[in-house]
Amino acid sequence: MSLTIKDYNSTNTPTWCPGCGNFALHASLKKALVELNISPSELFMSFDIGCNGNGADKINVYGFKGLHGRSIPLAVGAHLANRRFTVIADIGDGACFHEGIDHLIHAVKANYNITILIHNNQNFALTTGQATVSTQEEKPMYGLPKGRPERSLNVSKFILSLDPSFYARGTSTDPLQLSEIIKSGIENNGCSVIEVIQICPKYNKDFSPEWAIQNIKKTDSLENYNNLSLKNATEILDNSSIYTGIIYRNNTLKSFYERVHNRKDTLTELVDEVKIQDTAHLLKYFE
Amino acid sequence: MSKKRISIKFAGASGQGINTTGLLLAKALNKEGYKIFAYREYPSLITGGTASYQLDVSNSQINSSSRYSDILLCFTAESLDKYFDNIKENGILVYDFKNYSFSQEQETVLLKKNITKIYIDSKSIATDAGGTEIMSNVVMLGFLWKILTLETDILIDVVLDFLKNKNIDLEAEKNAILAGYNSPSYRPELSKKFDLPQTDMFSQKSLIMTGNHGISLGAVAGGVRAYYAYPMTPATSIFKFLGDTSEETKILVKQAENEITAVQMAMGSMYMGTRALVGTSGGGFDLMIETISCAGISETPLVIFLSQRTGAGTGLPTWTGAGDLNTAVKGGHGDFPRCVIATSDAISGYTLIQEAFNIAETYQIPVIVLSEKQISESLFSVKSLPKESEIMRGLSEGENRYELTESGISPRWVPSKEKKPYIHNSDEHTEDGTSTEESNDTLLMAEKRMRKLSLLEEHLPEPKLYGKSTPEVLFVGWGSVKNTVLDVIEDRNDISYLHYEYVHPLKTKTLEDFIEKGTRIVLLENNQTGQFGSLITQETGYIFKERLLKYDGRPFFVEDILDFLNN
Repeated sequence: MSLTIKDYNSTNTPTWCPGCGNFALHASLKKALVELNISPSELFMSFDIGCNGNGADKINVYGFKGLHGRSIPLAVGAHLANRRFTVIADIGDGACFHEGIDHLIHAVKANYNITILIHNNQNFALTTGQATVSTQEEKPMYGLPKGRPERSLNVSKFILSLDPSFYARGTSTDPLQLSEIIKSGIENNGCSVIEVIQICPKYNKDFSPEWAIQNIKKTDSLENYNNLSLKNATEILDNSSIYTGIIYRNNTLKSFYERVHNRKDTLTELVDEVKIQDTAHLLKYFE
Repeated sequence: MSKKRISIKFAGASGQGINTTGLLLAKALNKEGYKIFAYREYPSLITGGTASYQLDVSNSQINSSSRYSDILLCFTAESLDKYFDNIKENGILVYDFKNYSFSQEQETVLLKKNITKIYIDSKSIATDAGGTEIMSNVVMLGFLWKILTLETDILIDVVLDFLKNKNIDLEAEKNAILAGYNSPSYRPELSKKFDLPQTDMFSQKSLIMTGNHGISLGAVAGGVRAYYAYPMTPATSIFKFLGDTSEETKILVKQAENEITAVQMAMGSMYMGTRALVGTSGGGFDLMIETISCAGISETPLVIFLSQRTGAGTGLPTWTGAGDLNTAVKGGHGDFPRCVIATSDAISGYTLIQEAFNIAETYQIPVIVLSEKQISESLFSVKSLPKESEIMRGLSEGENRYELTESGISPRWVPSKEKKPYIHNSDEHTEDGTSTEESNDTLLMAEKRMRKLSLLEEHLPEPKLYGKSTPEVLFVGWGSVKNTVLDVIEDRNDISYLHYEYVHPLKTKTLEDFIEKGTRIVLLENNQTGQFGSLITQETGYIFKERLLKYDGRPFFVEDILDFLNN
């Protein structure tokens, strides 16, 4: 029996605001899963706290809604325990670039074979619109009538500086392209970072579908764009236009587990190995 | 008839190989058939300062240190000054640095306490024997061996075996030991100054291991397949042992970018159905507390090993203490069930870490396993390891992951392709894991979770009583204090000791029986405020009239207990 999007639907009604980018994001994700033939029981998703996390009980998969900022290490733990599962860490820009920015850096450097799906709506929306490091500097935000006094983080350049094995950018205004990006990200053997520029109709009104149509371009539209080229990627990130698509891939990297020496010849997963283990061979160290 | 024990201390600067010298002595004495207890003091720096390694030696099980040394061997003037007052009456002081002039005061003490001091030029002896100056350590070992009137074969075997893969001139090493052994500084009357107990060479040899080794072996035995940690003394040596042996055990050993990562990885791995352990000390544990609360509400099994050291903040990073009980029992926002277990030595670590995983999985709760620097890094004689515990995982399948049950325990199954997916939720949730903010849902689920604590408490054992049931004095404690009290009890049949391994939830019946009988009860803890005493008071209303508390970074020495009893 082939999978359909319905298989991933939970019985719960979404609680997001009308027009929220999360609707499109979830639809894109489910479409990608169907097309990759990954059943709900073959996927683990960790969720953060925030509007993305309110999607945790809206999708029927093995899931864990954990703590703010921590969906990446939670996903890594799940991945290391059982690599038969596809693992996705779902996270917002607040959690990813504030509370848990360390995890993003180390996950990319370790190159765990997981996908990090960043919902970048450029604010802390669930706590009613505080500034994040990706909010425009001069923009009035919660408690900041004159905008925040800190400089912004160029999220794309920051991620690219980590030399990820896969970095793509999609937008909730183009769910079909986003679905293709998610598919590629899941298929990549390594840490795939997918940044989704996402509509927040409540606290980021500047970013609308109309604005997106005018200002967002696709890397596919560029002649000779090579996403294996760091030079190409750097150039389009310096461009005044916003580009979506697979920005950069480094296919020379091994994934983390492939580099763990003592697990190289092991055919089982950690979840298969929970049984009494003999320690007699270790007692020689204690004579 | 007093337990026969002697105490030997090496002291010098950090980086001088004090620890290795002590370990070699421990291995050699173990092979000679002695029981040993090794205790380290060292500063939180790599080179310099004063470090020491004390071995207490007996022919029967011994688990604690004396405050005093029968033989003190010093490699630096600073260490001599520091430990001078701790040389026992009739003791021996060996030192290997030239031009040290003893003060008038020191000379008086030496005379009064009948301490013999011996200078030995161990560096020259080492180089004359064809070795290098660093071999002065084994020269000292050889000299000590002569004082102990032991034959050199075992010592040489141990030293050479230890160094065999280290690109060291083993012949020179052997010659240095022999040169120390045959040093003209030796005088036969030295060997008559202490009473080294006889051993039976044919008796079964012990293993010697630290508390952290016990934890590591227990983890391997109990099916732990991943270890996640961030460096922090005194938990770090677990990372080393499990890492060094990972080619044999195939355990995944992962140094995480911080403690929050480590514990989150463990929670993710446990959700997926393997067994993962996390180790840390107080500061790192504090960082993990939010995750403990998350594991509590989401009913994710989790085991955290917390090895305590002294003090708040950075405190005394390389010294012992037991002041993290409050944070282990109470740390975390909101109400949720948990279990806190305290180890006391290598064997209890081996056993209890296995129990911890069984409890964590059966009850689907976070479990914190406590140790102390005194347990984690001290070397214990272990006759043999107990048989592995049966692995109990409490797995079952059902319709809803958070089904409301009478016992409070809901079905939990290992995620797999063939089974129904479910969500773990740190939001309050309904039976199927859906987030809820409804009053009734909240009450039902919170009460379901807390029923597990009552069930666990029913199943936990009462604390163990050592000594007779009608003592003059009953000590009550947890953790490493057990080791010191038990060494004292052997000679004193008027005292008993009630030892708690399971410190939360708390069993109180045995203790309350003693309270009712009017027994003189003394609380014994390695912290400033008597944290465990407060927990007992909270549960029973009993207020301890006598408390023996120590919080200067040092463990309880045998004399601490004896002095208390004698005053």
